[in-house]
Amino acid sequence: MNWNDSPFPSFLRYNMAWIALLSTCTLRAENPLPADDRLDYQKHIVPILKTHCFECHADGEKEGDLTFDPRLSDEQAVANKELWWKVLKNIRSHVMPPMESKRPSANEIATVAKWIKFRAFGIDPQDIDPGRMTVRRLNRAEYGNTVSDLMGIRFDATILFPPDDSGFGFDNVSDALSFSPLLMEKYLFAAQQIVERAVPRSTWMIPAQEFSGRDFQAPEGKQTGDSLSSKKPITVNRSVTIETTGKYQIDVGVKLHGSFEFDASRYHIVFRIDGQERSTNEYGWDEHKPLTYAFTEDWAAGSHELSFELIPVPTEKEVEPNSSGDATFARFEVHSVRIEGPEGTPKRVHPPNYTRFFSQEEPPVDVAMRLAYTKEILRKFATRAFRSPVKQVTLDRLVTIAQQSATEPNATFEYGVGQAMIAVLASPRFLFRTESAAESGTARPFSNVDEISLASRLSYFLWSTTPDEELFQLAESGQLRNNLPKQVTRMMKDGKANEFIRNFVGQWLRARDVTSVSVDPLVVLGYQKEWEEVQEKFRTIRGRGLRGDLPPNEQKIRDRVRELRAIADQFDDELKRSMRRETEMSVEHIAQENLSLLDLLDCNYTFVNEKLAKHYGIPDVKGREMQRVDLPTDSVRGGVLSQASILLLTSNPTRTSPVKRGLFILDNILGTPSPPAPPNVPELEASTGKFADHEPTLRELLAVHRESALCSSCHARMDPLGLALENFNALGAWRTEEKETTIDASGTLITGESFTDIRELKKILREKHAEDFYRCVTQKLLTFAIGRGLEASDEQTVDIIVDRLQNNEGRFSELIDGVIASAPFQKIRTTSMKASL
Amino acid sequence: MTIPALNRRGFLSGAGVSIALPAFVSLPPRSLFGATATESIATETMGMATTSTGAPLRMAFMSIPNGVQQEHWFPTAEFGLNETMKPLESLKTHFQVIGGLDHENATAGRDGAGDHARASATFLTGARARKTAGSDIHVGISVDQVAAQAAGKLTRFPSLELSSDLIRNSGSCDSGYACAYQYNLAWSSSSTPVTPEANPRLAFERLFGSGDRNQRRTNFAVRQQTERSVLDFVLEEASDLHRGLAVSDRQKFDEYLTVVRDLELRLKAAESRQDIPDVDQTTPAGIPGDFAQYMDLMYDMLFIAFQTDTTRIATLLLAYDGSNRIFPQIGIREGHHYLTHHQRESDLAKKVAAIDQFYISRFARFLERMASTNDVDGRSLLHNSMIVYGGAIADGNRHTHANLPVILAGHAGGAIETGRFLKVESQPMSNLYVSMLNHYGIKTDRFGDSTKRLSEI
Repeated sequence: MNWNDSPFPSFLRYNMAWIALLSTCTLRAENPLPADDRLDYQKHIVPILKTHCFECHADGEKEGDLTFDPRLSDEQAVANKELWWKVLKNIRSHVMPPMESKRPSANEIATVAKWIKFRAFGIDPQDIDPGRMTVRRLNRAEYGNTVSDLMGIRFDATILFPPDDSGFGFDNVSDALSFSPLLMEKYLFAAQQIVERAVPRSTWMIPAQEFSGRDFQAPEGKQTGDSLSSKKPITVNRSVTIETTGKYQIDVGVKLHGSFEFDASRYHIVFRIDGQERSTNEYGWDEHKPLTYAFTEDWAAGSHELSFELIPVPTEKEVEPNSSGDATFARFEVHSVRIEGPEGTPKRVHPPNYTRFFSQEEPPVDVAMRLAYTKEILRKFATRAFRSPVKQVTLDRLVTIAQQSATEPNATFEYGVGQAMIAVLASPRFLFRTESAAESGTARPFSNVDEISLASRLSYFLWSTTPDEELFQLAESGQLRNNLPKQVTRMMKDGKANEFIRNFVGQWLRARDVTSVSVDPLVVLGYQKEWEEVQEKFRTIRGRGLRGDLPPNEQKIRDRVRELRAIADQFDDELKRSMRRETEMSVEHIAQENLSLLDLLDCNYTFVNEKLAKHYGIPDVKGREMQRVDLPTDSVRGGVLSQASILLLTSNPTRTSPVKRGLFILDNILGTPSPPAPPNVPELEASTGKFADHEPTLRELLAVHRESALCSSCHARMDPLGLALENFNALGAWRTEEKETTIDASGTLITGESFTDIRELKKILREKHAEDFYRCVTQKLLTFAIGRGLEASDEQTVDIIVDRLQNNEGRFSELIDGVIASAPFQKIRTTSMKASL
Repeated sequence: MTIPALNRRGFLSGAGVSIALPAFVSLPPRSLFGATATESIATETMGMATTSTGAPLRMAFMSIPNGVQQEHWFPTAEFGLNETMKPLESLKTHFQVIGGLDHENATAGRDGAGDHARASATFLTGARARKTAGSDIHVGISVDQVAAQAAGKLTRFPSLELSSDLIRNSGSCDSGYACAYQYNLAWSSSSTPVTPEANPRLAFERLFGSGDRNQRRTNFAVRQQTERSVLDFVLEEASDLHRGLAVSDRQKFDEYLTVVRDLELRLKAAESRQDIPDVDQTTPAGIPGDFAQYMDLMYDMLFIAFQTDTTRIATLLLAYDGSNRIFPQIGIREGHHYLTHHQRESDLAKKVAAIDQFYISRFARFLERMASTNDVDGRSLLHNSMIVYGGAIADGNRHTHANLPVILAGHAGGAIETGRFLKVESQPMSNLYVSMLNHYGIKTDRFGDSTKRLSEI
């Protein structure tokens, strides 16, 4: 691009120089500036501020409630950290000085940044303060994952626990994770339930084969018995082989599920053994209700078949297009099938999960040996649960609980151990993450965290769960830090890293929320009026009954009702889930392939299935599986900004919201700091007179908004970004018109670049705002990784990571490695922790 | 289960519930903590949470989001009900509408944008929420928790926090405010929100036990038994851990310790109580898809908790402030929050009024149940209650916080007047809370930003 042709030459000249500078050298390290300790407020900073800032921010002027005092000494000036943090954020994001005024040089910006970081904030680049870290409660997702990994069962914490309040955009921020009586009761209750499910109560049992829903398959297709739709007829089966002829006990456990919304659909389940019907039951929506059935069979040795057939109960289909359509909120799960026998067999085996907790064949009979064994089991379990060595006094308490419980009527050794495990799961050492320094008694203010704490930091960052055996062992032998790169690579490749995508991307880009968004497709698509009319007519027809042939005009109405309903039904949960997956997979892809983060701004591929491809108008994609597709060069898709998930999330239920969309980009893509507080927002009603002749478009209304200086400070930043996305409706589908007016998506960013549509905007963002994006993602990821909001002392840490990204084309590994290598992730304030916990 | 001597026929005929009767102050106090403890509780709570007849006095707060359409909401000076309140017509003698109350601390100051978060944080605290995205959350103790900390010992649960809104947005909440401000009404200290329960099944099981009716009391007892046995261990561990923590960590951990200690006290008190009510109602299945049914179910939980004297203090967050919920039940397909910024366009404003009425209709159903159920003294449950319904935003379009929509239902056992539109001079909503606390038996002349008592109620 030739900047001489641009309508904004001065800006672009500056901008090009800035980018060139950044891409050729490490700015902060190698700039020819005075050494940090020689920078002085009066000598170096005031002259720059005088040229660029004082007009509005000194000598009685205090726009945006911000003013500089040119008379202060260096000592006095550095005292106001809040002020300097604001200044740093605003000059970095090009919000200040305003575009229309003279641009500061790159050198000037670097000088101010350097003085602020190293003088005003007092950051020592050789020994960066890791910042304040408090004890962290496991959040709902972490708790669920930790329990599942520790106990060897699948535990869904979302049923029992309320969502956690988030802070700084993430629900793992320790300061925002509060504790309440309700929560304590739930932790105690959950601990009982978990141990009851996971820990065997006896040493031996009659041999049994156990199957889960996944072991039951449909003869055709990939459907398995763990989740069957209430509305689709299907049979899943499984054959089992037994060695001995005899009488077998068959215990069938099923679960009836219903997601957030109630669903009236009902269905029959026919259970067959070797083709013979053994039971038929009618079920419907329920909240994870478990039911059990028992059967006795005389079986000959050999193979036998068990099957479940689901038959939907036919209903007169509701005429109202609810958001579910053919999708369902009611599901059936074959939870477990257990075959025990044959009756009278002398054979005995351990119950499932036995060896996970109990290392010996049988508890020793000898009292002293039994005590030692109890200790050994509980030490191992509590060490894993607490993610750190267990103290003797704690272990003694646990052993006492186990011993006392084992003396209760009908109690077993295993039951006693289980009771102690309940106590472990209720302990604050399990529910909270506490950390220790590697060096104790050091005079230095910061130290590395010890290896065992580092293992937890890593695993909760990349897996949202407790460290696995390998991490533990490395940490225990003091070899984790030495093997960090290898371990990080291993962890990112592990299936558990899905949790990182789900939790980090789910919150940063809000992909989590897509499935719970309420939106009315018929209104968005402009059918509201017609729908209300045909529906009204249809009601009178239906009042007379729908049997038999209808007169042609009524037939037409019925057909139209069905057509419109079909349109609404396309927009179902499956489509929303596909949208969420598209966003998640976009990040997953660059993580796995180590591509540039900039692909998230603009790229020529995306991930869709048939349904989402149809929504986007992308041809030739078949099937429900999400797949990578290459996009033509003129495609409007590619990059997160034009993904349906984000477009939908930033809309109102019936129409788009350019303001929400613009704000989303500022907050989550460009990281533009929040503007000064507006006083009470004036009403727009005075302006509606201007549009006496027609209903104003959103663009027109927003233009009025920007006329006021008060509003323009924000809206000049948000509106061009939001309006650029107006070619996407509230469902994220492409459109060229709204209310029969051609959509104008062109605009000029506050930083000066002009564009005609989303394609050009994406290019501008990728080419000219890479640093803004790197900084924004780094801030988000660092917040998520360390579980606290960023502070002024983190500025250098962020700069180091942004530099790494700048120098390596924004490769994803630089981001992850940069965060893991950073002081806040590796270190801890020694003064904030006592030597031993 | 023993039934004390006082004639409670009227109470027992109450709809569908046969219960163990609450201990209340006019009866000889039962031994809760052994003799000395009992005496100290009796003195501490003398006359507290009790009407003049000795019946339990209840206190509840319901919050609605996004302000109201004022011209449809407020009644005439002669208490002619306006359109929004039509569903309350038959209950006119049981409530009053109060005009003139403000929440100055919900207005924008130097903290700028974020009216919804600030309003919901201020609603029951009368305090200004510190603007933070999460690092140093601070607002103030809420009025219900002041009452619970003084009188909560009288019942099995000191207070009950409910919500009929499970929708959570990921990422940042309103304009730089931590999400805790928006999703919690009750605050047990200036920095500790009290999490509400949004699942009616779990709320019910927590109060009365899980399983079928004949198993509930056993299940409840088993659950408590295990809790008790584990709690000693938990407390010892927590104290050890606490000693090892740095000062900054301790503050965070104190929150946890307080909770554990309170729970221990509660469980100890429960040992001497045999009064887990046997409620004749099936356990709710879960969260209904229909919002009206959802609200009704949470109101029902509140009703049962009050009727059985399981608690006397409750909050119910109907929807979080800023909620953009749609109301297909009444033909409204646009989001609530979006509609409130209608710029005075009458079509949209009417829809807002319809939503206001929708919320009121569910409140009316709850009040009807309360009004038609007899309490231990033969008066209605509603008669022996103080129930605030409202929000800390007045006009949702302009985000004003003066002349808030406030309904005060119930007579506090005859102590307060009803059946009127009480228009008072502009003053802090906290003044109402001071008066309510006084009626509750708590001697205080200050709460939040109060300037005096609202003696007119």
